[in-house]
Amino acid sequence: MAEKQKFVGQSIKRNEDPRLLTGNSTFIDDINLPGMLHIAIKRSDFAHAKINKIDVEKAKALPGVVAVYTADDLGDYWKPGPLQVPPPSVIKGAIFFARPLECIAKNKIRFSGEPVAVVVAESRYIAEDALDLIELDVELLPYVGDLEKTLAPDAPLVHEDLESNLAADVIQEAGSWEKAVAEADVVVKKRLLVNRVAGGALENRGIVVNWDQNLNLLTVWATTQGPIPMRNSIAKYLGLLENQVRLINPAIGGGFGPKIMSSQIDDVVIPWIAMQLKRPLKWVEDRRENFLGTTSERDQLHYAEMALKKDGTILGVKDVFYHNTGAYNPYGMTVPLNTQTHTVSNYRVPNFFTEIKMVFTNQMVVTPVRGAGRPQGVFVMERLIDAAAKELGMDPAELRRKNLLQPEDFPLRTGIIGQDFVEGILDSGNYPYALEKTLEGIEYEKFKQEIQPKARAEGKYKGIGITMFTEGTAVGPYEGCKVMVGVTGKVSVITAYSNQGQAHYTTFAQVAADQLGVKVTDVDVVTGDSGQWSWGVGAFASRGITLVGTAVHNASLKVREKALNLASKLLETPVDELELEDGVVRVADMPEKFITLGELAMRSNPTRGTVEPGMEPGLEAASYYGPPHGATGFGSLAMIVDVDPETGMIKIERLVITDDCGQPVNPMVVDGQIHGGLQMGIGEAFYENLVYDDYGQLVTASFMDYLFPQASDMPDKFEIYHSHTKSPLNPLGIKGVGEAGAIAPPACMMQAFEDAMGLDDMFITESSINPSKLYNYIQKAKGA
Amino acid sequence: MKIEGTHVFNGPRKAVWDMFYDPNVLASALPGAQKMEMVNENEYKFDMNVRVGPVSGAFSGEMQLENVVEPESLTLKGGGKGAPGFLNGIGNVKFKEQEDNTTLMEYEGEVNIGGALASVGQRMIDSVAKSMIRTGFETLDKALAARLAAKETGSEVVDFKAPTEAQFAKEVAKDMVKMDNMSAETKLVFYIVPVVAVIILLAVVLKSCGA
Repeated sequence: MAEKQKFVGQSIKRNEDPRLLTGNSTFIDDINLPGMLHIAIKRSDFAHAKINKIDVEKAKALPGVVAVYTADDLGDYWKPGPLQVPPPSVIKGAIFFARPLECIAKNKIRFSGEPVAVVVAESRYIAEDALDLIELDVELLPYVGDLEKTLAPDAPLVHEDLESNLAADVIQEAGSWEKAVAEADVVVKKRLLVNRVAGGALENRGIVVNWDQNLNLLTVWATTQGPIPMRNSIAKYLGLLENQVRLINPAIGGGFGPKIMSSQIDDVVIPWIAMQLKRPLKWVEDRRENFLGTTSERDQLHYAEMALKKDGTILGVKDVFYHNTGAYNPYGMTVPLNTQTHTVSNYRVPNFFTEIKMVFTNQMVVTPVRGAGRPQGVFVMERLIDAAAKELGMDPAELRRKNLLQPEDFPLRTGIIGQDFVEGILDSGNYPYALEKTLEGIEYEKFKQEIQPKARAEGKYKGIGITMFTEGTAVGPYEGCKVMVGVTGKVSVITAYSNQGQAHYTTFAQVAADQLGVKVTDVDVVTGDSGQWSWGVGAFASRGITLVGTAVHNASLKVREKALNLASKLLETPVDELELEDGVVRVADMPEKFITLGELAMRSNPTRGTVEPGMEPGLEAASYYGPPHGATGFGSLAMIVDVDPETGMIKIERLVITDDCGQPVNPMVVDGQIHGGLQMGIGEAFYENLVYDDYGQLVTASFMDYLFPQASDMPDKFEIYHSHTKSPLNPLGIKGVGEAGAIAPPACMMQAFEDAMGLDDMFITESSINPSKLYNYIQKAKGA
Repeated sequence: MKIEGTHVFNGPRKAVWDMFYDPNVLASALPGAQKMEMVNENEYKFDMNVRVGPVSGAFSGEMQLENVVEPESLTLKGGGKGAPGFLNGIGNVKFKEQEDNTTLMEYEGEVNIGGALASVGQRMIDSVAKSMIRTGFETLDKALAARLAAKETGSEVVDFKAPTEAQFAKEVAKDMVKMDNMSAETKLVFYIVPVVAVIILLAVVLKSCGA
C-alpha cells in the first residue's frame, strides 16, 4: 500500500538551512544555565610517565576556583571505561587484549594530552589560569611510537601487565595465498605507509550537564555522535536509570568520526562532578585541546604483495599490516577490520590473506575518522595494481578493467568478516560502469595521447590517476524512530540518531512525506534526544539514511495505514477507495468528501467512551530496522594533476568521480557528501598530517601546522556522475554515501603524480606527499 | 634526538672561556633570563620568560654541570618546566684552539621539548630560537672583540654595548622572513641547536653568578 515516491530522489532544499544560515541554531557553547560553572582539563605534556604526585593546592587556592579533581579524588568511581566496541571474538583465532580508556590518568600517563586533573571554576578564564598552577611530579618513561619497533622485545611497554605492545592479531584468509604464489608469473611486493589525520570538525567537542536532584534528572547536552550509548554509559557509571539521564544533541558543527567516543573524561567525570557540586557545568574543548585530546585515525604500515599472471589476471593478494591503536583500544577492531574488508573488494581476487597486527603506542587513541580503515585498504590495493601495471607494462586502467568484479558476481560472499562481525557480502554493484563512465568523463585516452605529450613538450608535469573504491555502509545492528501525525496535520519524526550536518532534517522528512501525503517542510525531524526517543546506536559507518531512513519509511507506512483505517470508519468508505494526499484523506472519486490529517490525529485520541481491544491511540507508530549485513556503495575516481616545476605545488585540473549509493534520497545532499569527502581525502593526500616527534609530542596541534585544504585548493569543479544500483536489502534500495569521497583520493593522487613525472623508477609508498618531496621528484624528472 | 653545531670565536681559547664567565656579557646574550642561583656546587636553578609565537609564560628549571675541564670542555644536563611546556636536555661543549688564533666551539647533545612549546610553538620556535642563537653568538663575537681591544690598549673600560630588546626583536623578525625558504630538515636543525645553546649559555652564566 506504499505510496509512490514523490520526494525521495528529488534535490529538495534543506529544511535546516534557514535556521543555520541566519545564526539561529543552538550549538553546545550557546547553552548557558543559571549558576553554571566552567571546566578546564589539565592534560599531560608527557607522552609516557609514571605519576608520583599531582599537586593541586595552588590551583585550589586561586580565587574563583571551586574545585579541582584528580583520579585519586574519584575514589571507587574511577575505573577504566567499558569497551565501546566488543572484541572480535567471532573471528576464529583472533587475539585481542582489551585495554579500555582510562577517563583520567591514575598511576601512569600513556600519551601526551591524557587528562590528569579537572578544574571547576566560576569562569573559563579562571579555570584555565588554574591549570598552570597544577604541578605534575612524574618519572619519565621511554616513549614508543614506531609501529614496528613497538613490538621489539626490548620496547617499553604501554601496559606493563601485558607481555608486549601487541594489542590484537587477526588473520583472515579467503582461498590460499600459497596457491596464488605457486601459480603466479609475477609477485609484486610493497611496503606502504598510511599517514595520520584528524577529524577536524569545525566545532570541537563539548558537554553541558545539569543535575536536578529534586526531579532526579540529569540533563546532558553533548556533541556526541552516539547519544544513546553515551546516555547508557553515564547511567551505568552513576547508577541511574536510563530515563533519569536525558541526553540531548544540540546543533553539532561536524563530527567526522571522533565524536562517536564515549566513556571519556567528558561523559564520565563531568556528570559525576555536577552531582557532587549540585551545579550545572560546561566544558568546551579549544582547538589545541581537540588535537591533543580527541581521537584521530589512519597510521598503518603495510607489507603487501600481489600475485598475477603475465596477462594481468590477479591471482591473489597478501597484506600483513601494523595498525596503531594508540595508548588504548576502546573502539575494538573497527578500523583495521574495515581495512581488511575494503582491500580487494572491487576485484576478482580468488586468494586473499590479510593479517592485522594492532599495536599499542604512546600516542592518542585511534578511532574512526571519515573513511575509517577503508582508505587504507583501497590505498594498498590500488597501489599494488599500479606497481603490477608497471611491472607488466600494462596501462593502469586496463589492468583494473581486466580484474573488476562483474555485475553478475553479486551478491558476493567475501569470506572476510567485517566491523559488524558478519561475513562481508557485497550486495550489489556495477563496477565496470563506474570505471568506464569515469574514464570517459575525464577523457582518459585523449589525455594520455594528446594532452600529456603536448604538456611534456612544453615542460609541464601533468599526470592522470584512475582508481576504484568501495564503501561498505549501513551496517547493523539497528536504528529506530517514531513517526506521528500531529493535531495540526504536521508530521513529527523522532529518532535518537545523531546529526552533525548530514541533512537528516530534510532527508528523513522526504521519506516520511512520501508516505503521509504532506509537504517536506511540514515534517519536523528531531534527532539525538533521548528524552523523546530512547533507542539507537549512533552515527558511524555511513548508516544514517539507510537504517533510520528505512525505519522512517516503515513507521510512516504504519501511520499511513492507521490514518486510512480511521478515515475509512469516519468517512464510511472502504480503505481501497481512499487516497491520502495534500494533508487530507479523501474519497478518490468524491474529492469533496475528505478529512484532514490533523482532524484524524485529534480523533485518534478519544477522550470519552470506550475503545476496541488492542487499540493503540494516536496516529503514531514506531519502527526499527536492522540489516542482515551492510550495503556496499562503490565508485571510481580520476584526477588530472598539474605539478608546478618551480614550487612543487599542485593544481587539480580535473576531478571526475562516478559514485553509486543505490537510491539517493536527495541527490543534492549526496553531492554535498561527496564534495566534503573529496576535500577531506585530498587534504589527507597533500595537506593534513598529524606528526609526533621522537618523544611523543604532537607537533602539529594547531591550524598553523595542521593544514586544512582550502576551497581555493580544490579543482574548479567536481565532475560527479551517478549510477543507481539499488540495494536489495531495504525497501527504498538505499546505500550510504558519507565516506565515499574520502576513500580514494590518496591512491588516485599518488598515481597521478607518478604519471606526471614519467620516471620509470618512481613509486610513491606513502599516502601523503608534500611540495618539498614532489620538488625532488621534479628535479629527477628534469634530469631524466 | 642527536644534535650538533659549531661556532668560531675570533680570539684565543682562554679569552673565550673567560668571557663566558663574565655574567654581564652573557646575560646580554640571553633575553628573558630573570633569576639564577646556585643551589649546590655545579647545580643551578633559573627562572626565565619564554615567548615563542603564541606561547609564552614563566619557565623555571635546573641545570647541572659535569666534567668541567677548564678551559677545554664541559657537559651540562638540565631541564625546565612551566606553563609553556617542558624541556630536558644534555649537551657537551668543547672549546678548541685553532692555528689562526681563533677558537672553535663545538657542541652536541640531545633535547626533548614538550607541551605547548612543542605542539603549538613548533613553527615559531624554529625561527625564534634560531634568531636567539644567532644574535646571541653575534653579541658574544662583539663582546669578545671589545674585550680583546681593551686588553690590547690596556684600557679597563670595555667598549661593548649589549643589544636592546628592540634590536633583538628586529633580528627575530628578520629571521622569520628568511625561514620561509628553508626546508623542513634545515628548520629542524635550527630548532634543536638553539635550545641547547641557550642551555649552554645559561649554564655558564649561572656558574659565573654562583662563583
